[in-house]
Amino acid sequence: MGKYDFSRRKFIAGAAALGAAGVAGLNPLVSCSAGNNKNVSLVTGKPFKKPEELSVPPLLDAAPDGQPLKAGVIGCGGRGTGAALNWLAAGPNVTITALGDVFKDRIDSCREKIKNEKNVEIPEENCFIGFDSYQKVIDSGVDVVILATPPVFRPIHFEAAVNARKHVFMEKPVAIDPTGVRSVIASAKKAESLGLKIVTGTQRRHQKDYIEVYKQVATGTIGDIVSANAYWNGSKLWHRNPQADWSEMECMIRDWVNWLWLSGDHIVEQHVHNLDVINWFTGNYPAKAVGFGSRQRRVTGDQYDNFSVDFVYDNGMHMHSMCRQINGCENNVSEWIRGTKGSTNCQNKIFDLAGNELYSYAYPVNEKGEPGKSVAISPYIQEHIDLVTCIRQDKPVNEAEATALSCMTAIMGRVSAYTGKMVTLEEMMNSDLKLGPDTFVMGDVGIMKNVVIPVPGEAPKE
Amino acid sequence: MPKKPVCIIKNKLFLLILTSFVLGILFAVFSGKGIHATSSSGFCEICHVHPHVFSSWKLSSHYVTKSGVRVECVECHLPPEGEGYLREKVRLGVKDAWGYLTKDSSDFNWEARRTVEKAQAFTYQQSCVKCHVNLYPLTLTKEGQDAHLYYDRKKDDLLCLNCHIDVGHFDPNRKHTQNTGFGLTSAASRQLFPDSAVVNGLKSFTETVPGTAISFEMKAIAGGRFRMGSPEDEPFRNADEGPVKEVQISSFFMGETEVTWDQYLAFYSATAGEGRTTDTEGTRTMADVDAISGPTPPYGQPDQNWGMGSRPAITMTFHAAETYCKWLSAKTGKHYRLPTEAEWEYAARGGTQTPYFFEGNPKSFIRKGFFGRLFGKENDIISKYVVYLGNSLSKTHTPDEVEANPYGLKNMLGNGAEYCSDWYSPEAYGRLTNGIADPKGPVSGEERVVRGGSFKSEAGEVRCAARDHTQTEAWLKTDPQMPKSIWWLSDCNHITFRVVCDFDDKTGKH
Repeated sequence: MGKYDFSRRKFIAGAAALGAAGVAGLNPLVSCSAGNNKNVSLVTGKPFKKPEELSVPPLLDAAPDGQPLKAGVIGCGGRGTGAALNWLAAGPNVTITALGDVFKDRIDSCREKIKNEKNVEIPEENCFIGFDSYQKVIDSGVDVVILATPPVFRPIHFEAAVNARKHVFMEKPVAIDPTGVRSVIASAKKAESLGLKIVTGTQRRHQKDYIEVYKQVATGTIGDIVSANAYWNGSKLWHRNPQADWSEMECMIRDWVNWLWLSGDHIVEQHVHNLDVINWFTGNYPAKAVGFGSRQRRVTGDQYDNFSVDFVYDNGMHMHSMCRQINGCENNVSEWIRGTKGSTNCQNKIFDLAGNELYSYAYPVNEKGEPGKSVAISPYIQEHIDLVTCIRQDKPVNEAEATALSCMTAIMGRVSAYTGKMVTLEEMMNSDLKLGPDTFVMGDVGIMKNVVIPVPGEAPKE
Repeated sequence: MPKKPVCIIKNKLFLLILTSFVLGILFAVFSGKGIHATSSSGFCEICHVHPHVFSSWKLSSHYVTKSGVRVECVECHLPPEGEGYLREKVRLGVKDAWGYLTKDSSDFNWEARRTVEKAQAFTYQQSCVKCHVNLYPLTLTKEGQDAHLYYDRKKDDLLCLNCHIDVGHFDPNRKHTQNTGFGLTSAASRQLFPDSAVVNGLKSFTETVPGTAISFEMKAIAGGRFRMGSPEDEPFRNADEGPVKEVQISSFFMGETEVTWDQYLAFYSATAGEGRTTDTEGTRTMADVDAISGPTPPYGQPDQNWGMGSRPAITMTFHAAETYCKWLSAKTGKHYRLPTEAEWEYAARGGTQTPYFFEGNPKSFIRKGFFGRLFGKENDIISKYVVYLGNSLSKTHTPDEVEANPYGLKNMLGNGAEYCSDWYSPEAYGRLTNGIADPKGPVSGEERVVRGGSFKSEAGEVRCAARDHTQTEAWLKTDPQMPKSIWWLSDCNHITFRVVCDFDDKTGKH
């Protein structure tokens, strides 16, 4: 677990080492002597990892054949339906036998799409409706559960799946508050002791171009990492206005990407992808965060629509993160990492310190014979191929803890922006913050009328 | 129970027997069968006759386990085989044999040996984790998950024992849960005081707390000058006790004793939170409310099962001690607060400038080793005044067991360590100008000053000038609650406090 051991002593020692690395990079004499064994990290003093020491998914083009694997889908909205189709595309002998959701129309549309596109029929008696449907799906005789509800429910559903000894594919984010993060990490450890296979929807970790760049960075191509940027500046997502025949709970769940207690705000719900890439490449998690954000143009709900956060890792490295969901602005969804010997966009290119391209991922040519722009297998399918491969070949895969900790990174950014204060990982790991009601019922639950949009700091005194 | 052999140590026959015994054990240990036979719980039982050891084991969760596996003595009290098992077995075998033959088991403080501090010398962390390979079994509760995640992140600081001290030997009084019943039985229907004491001048008085049955003595301390700190040649002096500065102190009143459990529980029952809330310190202290919000129920047993009554109240946080003073001020209409470090030392010295307020060299009070006991001189004057490591049996004592200092104050040195209101800095005295009046310490800091040493302190640490400080993180190390309590310390059973009352217009100063 040493990954997020961030004592002050270590912090100072790490910062000093990083400072030394910076100096060394500028000093030609030191660079010269370092040139003799250039695959040594100046921060740790140890060689960078060798390619064979890296932990990467199997990345087969299709999952191997084997015993039939039955999956149940919990949360049958857009992403749940998408994940169901991705699962069915993973390889031979995989199927879906149960669906669960709180809304019947979501089940109906998901069921119909699976039938139309994949010719898989899910029997009526295996379609469960309601807040307790997750347990019924888990208990319906499936081998794998796909968790794709709004994220507030994820820790509960994941715990139930692990307790029932099921393999799990679950969408990001896996938690939206510290209580949920701890629950997911504990369930992940239980899953590990049971040998269960867990894949999370941070699909860049299953995207071949990212993985090739990761291998180069991890083996020292750009030297020691000294700073990073993460961006998700994009358009607003969808929203749904309340309808007369919907209860308050129904209104919020159908509009879930706009409500803090359901989604964790967009820095957690969406931007966690980019934050996770930086954490993955650095092999570490930020120790503290100071950020700000606001709500400029969002229509419904109670969330912000922009955040800017300065994260600091325990070795003193900074990551700047920006995310915005506002139409008509400059958009950019990407990552950037600087090292002592070069930089990378993490996805497909590596540059030296002068900006010359050192590496570019070779995408397969498209049908017209032109150089393509995407990997051969969609990462949304690849993650299911990797899950099925690991189940059938009994290879270890458990991404839940790493994703939970990246969610914690995003939560730290959110809490800092909401409060205007510095937030530490230590503090968050010990926080009892829990969003949302303790029990879930359809009806008028008195949440909307009590919503307060956080405003940090103090008003100027007259 | 074995009888102590009289003067046996001078007997050659005894040495012969002992040597043969040790050799016999060594021989037995190094033969395979012998190792097995001398590792059975039955073999342990031959000598380990101290009270409760086998009965409490049989009542414990390691004797009757859910899986039907029984955990034997050596599985906890020796390291796993291959990790120093034989070495420790021989070491402990010789040690125990020596102890069995030369000491009287009734002289041992068995109760103290069951505390985490002591028990970690008799158990092995690697033995715990050898069997308990999975810290996240499916049966683990949410509280257990949080606690084990916390352990995972703090492995260097924590032992399994910190939370699971009673798994091998059952203790019916031990609690590792929120103790909602704590302190509720103490407020008996005694006569309640209608008014607080009226004070008209700098004279000692008996304070009565309105609406409670609580009264206590406040000693008048006339102001004056003294030299704060200790000279460089004082035995056991630490650098933070200097440089010595001349300090002027204004008159004040000080509690004759450390705040007792009876007094503290009156505050607790009057102000205690209805249950744990998610309020953090920030929201509590910012709240503009008239009422004083008091402690939430503690986790575990704050009095360590040593008893309450007139024993000093312990394990409260600095915040709780300050809140007590606010409550007491509101109740009595006087201004009660924690002493400054300068006031504390002025009062503790009682007009003296020696290491203690009584005669004696700290070196002569240090507990003797084996040879010291044989050849050294005993000097027991310290035990007349101070509850410290040498006489405390590892717990606090009631104030009537010691005599007061020249100002009439009891337990200034030893018993419970006492909070002062100053921030701690090792350089604090260096920043004082000579002749300064009523210094209040650094303007900011991270830890508070703690003075007087405690029942756990060596004689050198209970000198008038000895300084110490709070350890916020370490003192809350094993509080499993999220967030940790702002009222109760899970890992500090030697802290208490003493109140002072201002000599001002409320107490007759004109």
